[in-house]
Amino acid sequence: MALLEVEDLHTFFKTREGEVHAVDGVSFTLDRGMTLGIVGESGCGKSVTALSIMGLVPPPGRVVSGSVVFNGRSLVDRKQRELEDIRGRDIGMIFQDPMTSLNPTLTIGTQITETLRRHLNMSRDAARKRAVELLEEVHIPNAAGRLDDYPHRYSGGMRQRVMIAIALACNPKLLIADEPTTALDVTVQAGVLDLLQELRIEHEMAMIMITHDMGVVAETADDIIVMYAGQVVEHAKTLDLYDSPEHPYTEALLAALPQLEGEDVRHGRLTSIPGRPPDLIAPPPACRFAPRCPYAGQDDCAVVPPELREIRPGHWVRSAHPASERMGHPVGAR
Amino acid sequence: MVTERRQEFEASLIRTAEARGQEAGAALQRASLLRDAVHRFSRNRGAVVAAFGFVIMIGFVFIVPWVDSASPYAVDFSKAYIGPSWAHPFGTDEFGRDLFVRTALGGRVSVEIGFAATIAIMLIGIVYGAISGFAGGWLDNAMMRFLDALYGLPYLPFAIITVTIFGVVNFWTMVVALTVASWFTTARVMRGQIITLKENDYVRAAHALGARWYRVLFRHLLPNTLGVLIVFVFLELPGVVLGEAFLSFLGLGISPPKASWGTLAQDGYSSYQSHPYIIVVPALAIAWLILSAFFIADGLRDALDPRTRENF
Amino acid sequence: MTDLLEGAAGTGNGNEPLLRVRNLKKYFPVKKGVLIDRTVDYVKAVDDVSFDIYPGETLGLVGESGSGKSTTGYCVLQLLKPTSGSVSFLGRELTTISRRELRAMRRETQIVFQDPYASLNPRMTVGDIVAEPLVIHGIGDRRSRRRSTERLLEVVGFNPDFINRYPHEFSGGQRQRIGVARALALNPRLIVCDEPVSALDVSIQAQILNLLKDLQREFNLTYLFIAHDLAVVRTMSDRIAVMNRGKLVEEGDAEDVYTNPKDPYTKALLAAVPVPDPRAMRVRREERRKLKGALAEPV
Repeated sequence: MALLEVEDLHTFFKTREGEVHAVDGVSFTLDRGMTLGIVGESGCGKSVTALSIMGLVPPPGRVVSGSVVFNGRSLVDRKQRELEDIRGRDIGMIFQDPMTSLNPTLTIGTQITETLRRHLNMSRDAARKRAVELLEEVHIPNAAGRLDDYPHRYSGGMRQRVMIAIALACNPKLLIADEPTTALDVTVQAGVLDLLQELRIEHEMAMIMITHDMGVVAETADDIIVMYAGQVVEHAKTLDLYDSPEHPYTEALLAALPQLEGEDVRHGRLTSIPGRPPDLIAPPPACRFAPRCPYAGQDDCAVVPPELREIRPGHWVRSAHPASERMGHPVGAR
Repeated sequence: MVTERRQEFEASLIRTAEARGQEAGAALQRASLLRDAVHRFSRNRGAVVAAFGFVIMIGFVFIVPWVDSASPYAVDFSKAYIGPSWAHPFGTDEFGRDLFVRTALGGRVSVEIGFAATIAIMLIGIVYGAISGFAGGWLDNAMMRFLDALYGLPYLPFAIITVTIFGVVNFWTMVVALTVASWFTTARVMRGQIITLKENDYVRAAHALGARWYRVLFRHLLPNTLGVLIVFVFLELPGVVLGEAFLSFLGLGISPPKASWGTLAQDGYSSYQSHPYIIVVPALAIAWLILSAFFIADGLRDALDPRTRENF
Repeated sequence: MTDLLEGAAGTGNGNEPLLRVRNLKKYFPVKKGVLIDRTVDYVKAVDDVSFDIYPGETLGLVGESGSGKSTTGYCVLQLLKPTSGSVSFLGRELTTISRRELRAMRRETQIVFQDPYASLNPRMTVGDIVAEPLVIHGIGDRRSRRRSTERLLEVVGFNPDFINRYPHEFSGGQRQRIGVARALALNPRLIVCDEPVSALDVSIQAQILNLLKDLQREFNLTYLFIAHDLAVVRTMSDRIAVMNRGKLVEEGDAEDVYTNPKDPYTKALLAAVPVPDPRAMRVRREERRKLKGALAEPV
């Protein structure tokens, strides 16, 4: 049985101008110990998907339909009380901004032991001991001495490590990381990603890594979902996605990335995607990427919404013109 | 030559413009900032009710004396101390003067003093705060230390002293008295605003373009403080109106026969046990104005607070 | 004012550097004290940095947060007064010229800012924002300025019909275009690009980077391109300078620096960048493990 099964998730936000379809039909499964990367640009719905799983969608948003089954139990339509138990103990979550995710008025030690005592009913001393262990696990030097420091005495990278420690405190089976390294310097980011990998293996933990960075997800994920305008447009194993992207958006995204090396990087032009993502209040009725797609025809693309279909074993695409079906266009990354 | 270079540049612009496509795309379908603000304001029910109440009150004090035929000054002892009735909705006072009209007229005086003093407070506060915040450095330091010292001055006693020094209490002396020790917070808020706004990139951009200090101050900084200032107007007004009322109640108010709500209240004080309405009416009027101003300020604050974009 | 620019306009050939920075230092005093502030220490944001930029090229200035790269950019433009050192533009020493001359120099050196949401005055129309430099320097009259503004907007790919709209009606990428148009308005020779695409989505980044490349060719611009994203810097720069904690640790041709980094910090930086290539990432992880020392985080 898969650890997490998300089926046809719809999360909408009621606003003055209308209902924003932030997440519009997202499905995926996650097995134990696997890492799923959810990648996309801002506004695609990746963060809201994670919040929906945890039941943390802020009003005026709400999960409208769909199911989220974690370890055999449904998470939708559950009371906050029960969700609070599950959060922290079975599902850990780390967020983007380490500066604001930690309470500046509580010591690091308090914030870790708080979670341990809430979910595992530990005594104060036992919790403190465990807290030191956790800090050592995330490679905070001199952990015992730093337990009673306040967050402002920690650097950004270290705070993120503390966030990870808190998230892992109760040995959750699933860790959801929402842009965990976006706010960090690149060298610090590398350290945090390495740490996550190490801990994941050690704790046999599944992870959902949400990011806009195609490089980060290449490094960390086994499976990748590409989201656009609230929908899943491509879903494949990591190697397969980068070797043979199928969806025009994925291809364009990869082509738009500036390269570290290559011939004539300096004088060549980057492939850019014209226009902007669609308005989620009234998304285009058919293919949402069609207005910006170089392969969109007057035919189906504007009329029939493409379904997510398995174009190869383990590789799903939502497009009428995936790469391997295009005449005269070779299958390949660039 | 500079102009030659400029002409060449303009020619280049034209050539390049023709060749370039319009990649940027359409503008966002966003409602105007003003409409957004109005909508946010209207969501705050207290503020909306207060706004109506405020407008009604202002209407009352300015329109009624115009329209109502009853004279506020005519003394007619035969009509003294009539309670609230059809002919005299607020009753009459000891001299037989209709209190409905007197309350309106008094209100006009109170409101005028209130607005005048508020404007004076804002002007002084804005100038002081803007200079301090914009200049920065030692001048800012010195001005703030001075302001800190002034903060120790108690507002009401100083108002009383000022009025006493002037000897006579009329519109202007009252305004000065109420302003003299009330502008400190406005100055401080203004300075804070300027200092915060100075950090914005568009201010740096103006410097980078070669803008002189007055351009930066008047085109970039001050206009962006408007939101805060409007809210502040409605926060200062109640204090000033109450201050005037208090001074009048102490006997330092506008000299008769002119009246303000404060003096009306003071008039009614002596007879409040037998004829409570004489003091209750102006007191309620003051409360009405103050409360509605506060609620409006609250609504304005919400309305003008630019909410961060929702990230999905 | 024409003579100031004339003298400057003379030296513009390819062999002389357009911008010469020598021993630039910017120290920020750390003050403590109750009534009177005492300076107890200094934050050495820029600590003895020297480099040249030649006409028509792009010098990429790369580094992580706190490296001092943005501060360097501001010091070059004299938006911050350098603590010491020399900034020489077209042969003129910018740190010592008069205010009047500095204003004239502002026509030649411009800047594009990082945050599209903070770099445009929300109370000014798009047209006013782009025309402001022309107004400040008294160029043209209202009609000609309007024409120029429309051209400038078109040149950056922005629909000139939106000239009377306000910034809040536009997305990040569109606003950034407005910022570029504003920087271009005075026909500068040098534009400092301070993280111009860091706040933008990948697909929009590509649009803006392409635009900057096109403009450089079309208007013979020289760029000081400041960024923390190594791949972005690579695609824009001819030469690259790497900064770490206020010091310039490596400088050279872009190709050389990226394929043969000499400084351990540069090596660590390059090894840390995530690339969209799963196989390469495994190799890089190994490299990083070896470079562990240089990657040590500040405590």
